[in-house]
Amino acid sequence: MFEIKPIFNALCRSKVGAILLLLQIAITTAVVSNASFIIYDHVQYLNKETGFPQDELFRFTVLTFGKDRELSQQFELDEAMLRNIPGVINAVTTNAVPLSGSGSSSSFRLKPSPEESESVNAAYYFADEHALETFGVKLIEGRNFLPEDVRITNTIENAPNVAIVSKAFAEAMFPDEPALGKNFYYFGDKPLKIIGIVDTMLSPWPRSSRPPENTILVPMINPGMYQHIMVRTQAGERAAIMRQMEDVMLDAYNKRVIINIEALDQVKQDYDASDVLMMRMLIVIILVLVSVTALGIFGLTQFNISKRTKQIGTRRALGARKSDIIRYFLVENAMVCLGGLFIGSISAVLLGTQLMQWYSIPALDNSYVAVTALAVFAMTMLAVVVPAKRAANISPSIATRTV
Amino acid sequence: MLKMQKINKVYQTEMVQTHALRDFSLEVNEGEFIAVTGPSGSGKTTFLNIAGMLETFTDGEYELDGVRVGGLNDNQRADLRNQKIGFIFQGFNLIPDLNLYENVEVPLRYRGIKTAERKRRIERCLEQVGLGSRAKHLPQQLSGGQQQRVAIARALAGEPRFLLADEPTGNLDSLMARQVMELLEQINRDGATIVMVTHDPELARRAPRNIQIVDGQMADFTLYQGAAEHAVAMEA
Repeated sequence: MFEIKPIFNALCRSKVGAILLLLQIAITTAVVSNASFIIYDHVQYLNKETGFPQDELFRFTVLTFGKDRELSQQFELDEAMLRNIPGVINAVTTNAVPLSGSGSSSSFRLKPSPEESESVNAAYYFADEHALETFGVKLIEGRNFLPEDVRITNTIENAPNVAIVSKAFAEAMFPDEPALGKNFYYFGDKPLKIIGIVDTMLSPWPRSSRPPENTILVPMINPGMYQHIMVRTQAGERAAIMRQMEDVMLDAYNKRVIINIEALDQVKQDYDASDVLMMRMLIVIILVLVSVTALGIFGLTQFNISKRTKQIGTRRALGARKSDIIRYFLVENAMVCLGGLFIGSISAVLLGTQLMQWYSIPALDNSYVAVTALAVFAMTMLAVVVPAKRAANISPSIATRTV
Repeated sequence: MLKMQKINKVYQTEMVQTHALRDFSLEVNEGEFIAVTGPSGSGKTTFLNIAGMLETFTDGEYELDGVRVGGLNDNQRADLRNQKIGFIFQGFNLIPDLNLYENVEVPLRYRGIKTAERKRRIERCLEQVGLGSRAKHLPQQLSGGQQQRVAIARALAGEPRFLLADEPTGNLDSLMARQVMELLEQINRDGATIVMVTHDPELARRAPRNIQIVDGQMADFTLYQGAAEHAVAMEA
């Protein structure tokens, strides 16, 4: 009924067009399945919860050149002044700006050096007891820092001995037991006791292959000429407060420069700019490839019909119904397409493995190959329907004419 | 077998109305071998197309083997063509990408005949036309006469009661033409009804009954008796 064998034999005998189409379908399947997986991965990433109320936060950087102020006191004066601005919820001095692509990370050990120990990599934020409220992250266990927990220091000896960690870090460091109250170690043998656990709090590198969920808050201020300040405002008041930030900071002390006044969602947007660009390019590539393949199939079928006009008329004369002619072209296309999809699916998996190695992207989910293959199959069949219907309308009387 | 009464076929364009057949009536009995002749543009091909249900007619009555063709839809006409009629075309109309076996198989597939029965019929028909050993060859590997014999095998495979031949020797040299004509005569002797359109008067004379179409109308009836003697005379 489907004439599979004669169609297959006929394809084998005149195979150039079929092979070209098959390769086109294979390439489309391989590229589109990987590209759509990468796009999905990016969309997932862009929609990922960061833990920060990004539309309420902004950051700026203070470059102090004046020598007549004690920096270890100035940051507290600045924070206090900022908290008094109407509309400001809280403000904190920190060593790193979340989601900005710039910060610090380290490996933290389960046991002190020189003991053999598991270690977990995590980004760390130095900040005082205002960090939790300013960052807007949710404390799910334990407590916030107390003022006496906070160390203002430049030396390891005076480094604090407590920390608030993210839930992800706690689970990574202590997978089989509750983390609260446990110690872990930094700078080799310096213990940090977990006094609080927050829900999601991403690192400054949300796109990193190292888990960006692994983060630590350390109650420490490292006073310097170059400081980041994070400010959280009431919703809707951020823009107005950002506009006056340079003036109020310079009014408080003018021997310094205020730069990089930037909303946190803009910071994230800048960090993601290359990803968004790549995603758009991939979408364009998918659209172009799919369109070219569909047009290729449409064109090849049209060409085959014009080349086989007499043959189609003869088939009709010999008893083919219109539906037989449509089915013939659909089966012929399906056979080429299935061959292309088979090669394309294998290529997609191989390409996915290579991309994973080259660009550290997650392993291709095979369901993407399957869905892409189904979509390509449906698209090619749709591309054939119109020319096949046209072929079916060729009059059987063409068989007796000289064409 | 075939009964046409006052068949008209009008081709209508925006500017011109062309009467290809006018009040054309013909009755063909079972087992007859009829040659249809006429000058170019006389309506021979239109008659063949209507007789073979490849085209519809404008008005009139046409009955094929007891079935009134006028009221049939496209699918019914396709099925009736497949079951009742074997076509032999001037240009052979073999499908170049299919081998001889697969070419002969085409009408049988459309009839839904099972594989084993198809195989039996194809092998028998190819043997009948002397090409049993070349089933796996492609049409382009054969001479014109051999290709036409394959086309005849294809027409016979469906075991039709009615063969329509459109200039079956038109593309062949005289030797090949004679072989094909002898094959058709043999098929007719075996019981098939044949209507052959030809412009070749010599060939037409070999058919027991001749019809001439001029300007879409029946021009003449000529009944030749003793076709066998005539064939002998031609060969001599």
